[in-house]
Amino acid sequence: MNLNTFLLALAGLVLAPLLGGLAAGVDRVVTARLQSRLGPPLLQPFFDVGKLMSKAIAPASHWQGLFVRWALAASLASDVLLAAGGDVLMCFFVQAASASFVALGAFCGSSPYSKLGAQRELFQLLAYEPVFLVAILCMAKAAGGFDAFSIMAAQGPLLLRLPLVVPGLVFVVLVKLRKSPFDIAASHHMHQEVVRGVYTDYAGRDFALLELAHWADVTVVLWICSFLWATGPLQMLATGLAFLFAALIIDNISARLTWRTMLKRTAPLTLILATANLVWLYLE
Amino acid sequence: MFGSFLRASQVKSPWLLHFDCGSCNGCDIETLACLTPVYDVERFGVINVGNPRHADVLVVTGTVNPRNAAVLKNLYDQMPTPKLVIAVGACGCSGGVFREAPNVLGGIDKVIPVDVYVPGCPAKPEAIMDAVVTGLGKLKAILEASK
Repeated sequence: MNLNTFLLALAGLVLAPLLGGLAAGVDRVVTARLQSRLGPPLLQPFFDVGKLMSKAIAPASHWQGLFVRWALAASLASDVLLAAGGDVLMCFFVQAASASFVALGAFCGSSPYSKLGAQRELFQLLAYEPVFLVAILCMAKAAGGFDAFSIMAAQGPLLLRLPLVVPGLVFVVLVKLRKSPFDIAASHHMHQEVVRGVYTDYAGRDFALLELAHWADVTVVLWICSFLWATGPLQMLATGLAFLFAALIIDNISARLTWRTMLKRTAPLTLILATANLVWLYLE
Repeated sequence: MFGSFLRASQVKSPWLLHFDCGSCNGCDIETLACLTPVYDVERFGVINVGNPRHADVLVVTGTVNPRNAAVLKNLYDQMPTPKLVIAVGACGCSGGVFREAPNVLGGIDKVIPVDVYVPGCPAKPEAIMDAVVTGLGKLKAILEASK
């Protein structure tokens, strides 16, 4: 590993959660404006996490704290992998491990809402992971390599060769950002028992670390989406923002679907489209 | 610097838990009105949460009776410290017109310590928002004193 790779990895470790936090701030401001409200300051998510860090509360289970830290470590590791130009497929698996740790931690809780939320989190994993995997396979096939630098160095925008992957990636972004209509396990804006089930028993510092892990996850997912137009850093940023704003608009104009609809309709449909794109790339 | 950021965060991110302790719903409607575009308390970082483990401020409306006193105490105990309690409306403050009723214990302060009282029947949304700001001012003073 040379010095450049090390510095890139370090930048990924520090900047990725901060960018995720900024995305959360943009989300809250834009959502408020869409609802004719002024909304909180842009840095409000950072104040929220700072506040949660300084709260004193007994954990619901000692295992929960362990799983939260593993989830944070896995999320940050996926950021580091991407920043250092590592294998995108490996990054995907590490990120999936992080989501599993969150569900495992919720299973450790004593509240029935927490267990319900954990089950719904697993349903979400089951729905979006195959779509995300096929989307990454498509990118790698179109770009000719699985490492992030190869995909970013691909000739021309990948979007022109991967149009059928876009619905799948929008689905993945909606689920990972915890947005309607797929905010099944934990809604970003709603705060009732079932729609925020997976977070029920997390509190205080554990909840703050979980939020940091979520920010890191958001950065990874938007970063992978930005590979669709990776002709330059600005174009990648614009693509990532386009996915973020698409998710915000859909969140504000749609009602929550049931997990059955997500699992039986949306997931197969987006998976078929992405697979069709993959087959097309092989036949080309 | 990190410590001062954490202290500043505690007064910039009040998450409210709203508990109807036996109110006629007048004060509840006014409390929820604070979240609408007209008042928009999210400007101050306020979020209305449904989970006591995530809440910083307990907003209670209505009178306390022997049955809901245990629930109120339970919710208060589940909240992480430091925490604030706001009694909203005449009933929450003192029992209001029901204070002489045989099943009414009185105001919220008969069961848990109250930081800010909001008078009114029903209390106005502006008064409820002012109570949150006053409560955060008290919290800030405590944090400054303990520095």
